[in-house]
Amino acid sequence: MTVATLPIERPAGRLRQLVASGIGPILAVVLAIIVGGVVVLVSGSNPITAYQQMLVGAVGSPFDISETFISSIPLILAAYAVSFAFRCGLFNIGAEGQLYMGAIASTWLATTFPNWPGIVLIIVCIVAAMVAGGAWAGIAGWLKAKTGAHEVITTMMLSYVAIDISHWLLEAGPMTPSNAYGTPESGPIPPQAAFPIILPSWILPNARLNASLFLTILAGVVFAWILWRTPLGYEIRAVGFNPKAAAYGGINVARRLVIAMVIAGAFAGLAGMVPVWVQMRLYDSFSPGYGYEAIAVALVGRNSAIGIFLAGLLYGAMIHGAVAMQANANISGFLVQILQALVLFFVGAEMLIRWLLRRGGLRALVEAPA
Amino acid sequence: MDVIGTLASIFARPDLWAGTLRFAAPLTLAALGGVISERSGVVNIAMEGMMLVGAFFSVLVAAATHDIVLATLASVLCGGLIAAIHGVASIHLRANQIVSGMAINLLALGLTSFLMFRFFATSGTPSDIPALPDVKIPVINNIPFVGAVIGDQNLVVWLSILAVPLAWWFLFRTRIGLRIRAVGEHPRAADTLGISVYRIRYLCVILSGLLSGLGGAYLSLSVAHSFSDNMTSGAGFIALAAMIFGKWNPIGAFLACLLFGFGQSLGINLQGTGFPDQLVAATPYVLTVVALAGFVGRAIAPAADGVPYEVGE
Amino acid sequence: MRTLRVGFAVAITASILFGACSSAATTAPSAAAPASAAAPASAAPAPASAAPASAPAASQAAVASPGASAAASCVAANPNFKVGLVTDVGGLNDKSFNHLAYLGLQQAQCQLGATVDVIQSSEQSQYVPNLTTFAQKGDNLVIAVGFLMANAVYTVAKQYPNVHFAAIDTAPADAKGNTVNLPNVANLFFHEQESGYTVGYLAGLMEKDKVGAATSNTISYMGGLAIPPVDRYIAGYIAGAKAADPGITILGGYSQSFTDQTIGKSIGLNHISRGSTILFQVAGASGLGYLQAAVDKGVYGIGVDADQNYVAPATIITSAIKKVDVAVFLTIQGLMNGQFKGGDNEFTLQNNATGFAPPNSVVPADIVAQVQQIADQIKSGAIVPPTTIPK
Repeated sequence: MTVATLPIERPAGRLRQLVASGIGPILAVVLAIIVGGVVVLVSGSNPITAYQQMLVGAVGSPFDISETFISSIPLILAAYAVSFAFRCGLFNIGAEGQLYMGAIASTWLATTFPNWPGIVLIIVCIVAAMVAGGAWAGIAGWLKAKTGAHEVITTMMLSYVAIDISHWLLEAGPMTPSNAYGTPESGPIPPQAAFPIILPSWILPNARLNASLFLTILAGVVFAWILWRTPLGYEIRAVGFNPKAAAYGGINVARRLVIAMVIAGAFAGLAGMVPVWVQMRLYDSFSPGYGYEAIAVALVGRNSAIGIFLAGLLYGAMIHGAVAMQANANISGFLVQILQALVLFFVGAEMLIRWLLRRGGLRALVEAPA
Repeated sequence: MDVIGTLASIFARPDLWAGTLRFAAPLTLAALGGVISERSGVVNIAMEGMMLVGAFFSVLVAAATHDIVLATLASVLCGGLIAAIHGVASIHLRANQIVSGMAINLLALGLTSFLMFRFFATSGTPSDIPALPDVKIPVINNIPFVGAVIGDQNLVVWLSILAVPLAWWFLFRTRIGLRIRAVGEHPRAADTLGISVYRIRYLCVILSGLLSGLGGAYLSLSVAHSFSDNMTSGAGFIALAAMIFGKWNPIGAFLACLLFGFGQSLGINLQGTGFPDQLVAATPYVLTVVALAGFVGRAIAPAADGVPYEVGE
Repeated sequence: MRTLRVGFAVAITASILFGACSSAATTAPSAAAPASAAAPASAAPAPASAAPASAPAASQAAVASPGASAAASCVAANPNFKVGLVTDVGGLNDKSFNHLAYLGLQQAQCQLGATVDVIQSSEQSQYVPNLTTFAQKGDNLVIAVGFLMANAVYTVAKQYPNVHFAAIDTAPADAKGNTVNLPNVANLFFHEQESGYTVGYLAGLMEKDKVGAATSNTISYMGGLAIPPVDRYIAGYIAGAKAADPGITILGGYSQSFTDQTIGKSIGLNHISRGSTILFQVAGASGLGYLQAAVDKGVYGIGVDADQNYVAPATIITSAIKKVDVAVFLTIQGLMNGQFKGGDNEFTLQNNATGFAPPNSVVPADIVAQVQQIADQIKSGAIVPPTTIPK
């Protein structure tokens, strides 16, 4: 399988291009909503109620907006991990394992040195999460460079290994303090090492959205900066576009593969740390599959920093919106997975969108000068 | 602890080897499907979704009709149908095939769980559905060790083993196989020779769906005798890995599935021998990485794999 | 020409997608038949224990037509008494505590007229907002299912002191992990080890007396993950079996999953090939694969949580019971009657919430009687089953 055909596009320079590149995904969402509505209708419920509840549930109150961000952030960060590798022509299907390693490393540090000053501890933990995630992904990159072992296999297998390691650490002892019920969870993250909560409690009591949002935005900036503003990023993209040509042009392809995987893994490591820092401890099986869902987010976001951020917010909003939809409209939360799939499908089916747009007389937008 | 002795006693257990075949069977079917699809130039990471759809609809039809043949047919057809969506997206709509494949996986997970709840609520699928039969081979059944390994395997295990040489013969020894490979390596040239690139690709993608669907039916109608949400648990992705591991060759893919099945079976047999259960569960994954990096190395995909083709330009 | 072709492709896509949807619609009536046929099948084996047995039938009716409020025997709805249920990430189809809690909820809907809603959590970090959603709605009672919600329940219950909560398998715990009992939270604990002990004792006697297929003096178990509610069952099972038959061999393993039935079945076949003739599962849906191995090979299985005899009536000789449904129902009823009890609520053999399901006809009457005696001794406190597995 080659991944050279993955969407490679120019940075959006002109406004028109920006609009043109944004209108496809928006139409994809609209189409997904329509088809998803049919599914709801066929299954005997009212689609209008479903969507209304989902929308209100996702952004209807400051609390819900804060929760939507909390559901989105791990997806966004993990999607940067998937996408960064994509840019180098690598399919990082195992971000899940990398984020587990990030969560384990940061939790281990935070619970082992609970008396360090907060600011030091949190920075050390962030670095540890990135190093652990990066190292885990780096193994796959190194194997690819050394032996040609395909990254789809190695990242996937290492991902399962990481999850099994976490089961062992949390269930069989080494990371579990003895608590009253023998629950498989780590000790608490020291409170001084928490990310500061963004909204003060007099605005929104019990809001949980914390400064990891800024970390996520920063990660997006770094993601774009490395890829588009540094020689390294240029070389990584060159390798992703055509490794043979890149090698001919004097780029050390093997080294770039390893570096790209390490950086990708670092994003995933962060993605693993953030949910732990929301719950303030590491629980067994803490990830519901952020690393897999992130593949969809990366693809919907077309591998661009802003696109991924928005796609992650969309997916997070659907996930959190489904809560109210289930509670108030009595509609299965699995509808969300169907919607997420449809959005992705229609984003992929670009030709369909283009054709629809052309019928709608929006030709000028679609065929923006290259 | 006596590691060598423990291992030796485990290797002497027939169940280690019987388990290897059992684990490998559904993976093999899906991996063969992947090989055929990608040989024609359509990247297929959607085996997971196709298996899940096959698993669900076979149980649904089995519950409604109590007919194992109809149920199996339903799994195959529904696998083929969802594969056809992937086909339309990646062949006619020239969608990014990874995007489409991932969408199929998500869709299958959402749709089967959604319908599962709709039809069977939370009490699970009925227990009186028919099962795919085991094949008791009269004479072999009584041979001490061999009998325990292959004397009483499921029909689908044998079908999957049979499918391997068939797929190889189909791809490498028939006219249509030659065309498939031509389309996957050099669609433009194939087109010039009058081969319909689209038709061949549709055929192959749908074939992959049929095979994966059957693999799914094996999971639900033989292994579990029921359906539960997300019951494939990543088997389709393992099949994807096996396809690459086997270098897009049916026999290679089969060997990869056997290796993985062996790892899983070994992991199970290692439970209770003193190693932490959580860590021996990682055996198949570690084994796969080691074998891949140590012995197999670089794999090269068909040249036009994943490249949409535009007719007549 | 090109437009035409694209149009054609669109038509295909659309027809397939819509075809898939409408095929769902057309299969609905035919599939509804087996679904409802399943209800009496599952209710049949245990007509004695009315509460859990009648619940599946009710669930079919309620889910098949979400709009219709209740079946004939149900009381009039009481829209002002609202109960919300938040599952853990296992979801309603977990074949375990989430599912049973849901059955209890539906029973309350039918027999008490409560208005009920469910949120299935899709990620652990959602527990707080999910519980908050119901608390904010002004629900009278919010039920949190699963032992990983300790801190989430504490957080939300502190914030909404006027809302009542029930935590299944756990108690509220503060940020440091210390248990803090709150007046508005009922902690529902189950003595799973008692259930495990009784079925283990039964299995031990079966092997000792060489009943039917149980002639190998070897039994086995499979857990999902090595987590407390699972290990309490297993600890009791081992102790019970050894008490009945000190020379018994007990094999064990974990599937590392509550969903993967392939692994479950393979572990089952492995245990059978190593001599096990009675298989006890504590692994949700993954465990059904384990039991299926017993069905295929003609040995015996023991179900968990609910009476799982319906899975395979000839094979499943009994089940280790954990009546989460009854606990949920009683908690709702208690709150309605002003008898809500904050803090620990223990569900044990004493209040018939744990124990063993009525054995099938394979088990001789004298063994059933002996196991019943053991159950009585547990009730009286003469036997205290262990809660942890010996290393």
